[in-house]
Amino acid sequence: MADLLTHFLVPYILLTVTSWRADWLDRRWIVVGIGGAAIPDLVKVEIVLDDSTVEALLGVPFAYDPLSTLGGVLLLAGIITVAFDRHHWMRVFGLVTFGGLTSLLFDGMRVYADGRANAWLYPFTNWRPPTPSLYVSSDPTVLVVALLTAGTVAILDRRIRAQN
Amino acid sequence: MCVWVRVVIVLVLCLTLGGLFVHAEVTEDRWSPYPDATDLSAGYESYVGQDLMVVGTVTETSEDEMEIKAESDGEEIVLRVTGMKTAVEPGGVVQVYGTLKPDQTIAAEHVEVVSSSRWAEFYKYGASAVGALGFLLLFFRYWRIDRETWTLEARDG
Repeated sequence: MADLLTHFLVPYILLTVTSWRADWLDRRWIVVGIGGAAIPDLVKVEIVLDDSTVEALLGVPFAYDPLSTLGGVLLLAGIITVAFDRHHWMRVFGLVTFGGLTSLLFDGMRVYADGRANAWLYPFTNWRPPTPSLYVSSDPTVLVVALLTAGTVAILDRRIRAQN
Repeated sequence: MCVWVRVVIVLVLCLTLGGLFVHAEVTEDRWSPYPDATDLSAGYESYVGQDLMVVGTVTETSEDEMEIKAESDGEEIVLRVTGMKTAVEPGGVVQVYGTLKPDQTIAAEHVEVVSSSRWAEFYKYGASAVGALGFLLLFFRYWRIDRETWTLEARDG
């Protein structure tokens, strides 16, 4: 998967541009959407606590992989949503899910040696979508492009807000 | 809304997520079609002749082949990758797609370099750490924890 910073920048760019047309989408809500982008990266918890260790501790088969799938994004978006006031639940759930989806889609476009991405639509389907193989996760070009785009959007955003 | 109602919702969602963690491992063959390091360690011979994709850390490189170490669920297996020339240093990470041959060898059809060296891996984790820190600072600039209702509340009301 791409680095976490790139994952954050993608929904920042998309939500900021959307906010130029949607008045309710101010910076505090954009930040909530950005946060959702981190959900698929939580699968990296395996670096600290391996699945096999959890499996041995609990005595049941165990894999963290669903964190990087649509099912994991929806469930964690739900958990995050409950941390907010009841009046904001629909909005928070929508934004966090959107952030998570941008990361899943972005990861689904990276290089796979057999030409197919992970089954990120799990548990709804086990199908592995074809990938356009646009980038490898450790290629700094990806982050540079994301930073330049985010910088341009930030400047435009400041101007548009100043005009309003 | 009462704190306990929220606790119940969170518990139900966490249990469902836990169910997915178990279901995913049980049904791994359906969404991950290739044998992993654990499968190969347990019954290598039964997979010989099959196509597979493995992700591994490069341990050795030579003119036209390399050695990789694949790992899953605490099991490790060292595989020789033949048939592809790639610019990667030991410590780098590659995806290999090819046919499994006897003697812990893969005849590669396609190799993708995920990280060309150990430094490329460090770069990825460094950028992620910067991202995580930046996000937390930004988030708590706009939101705070209300200790009376135990909810997140916008700082500007």
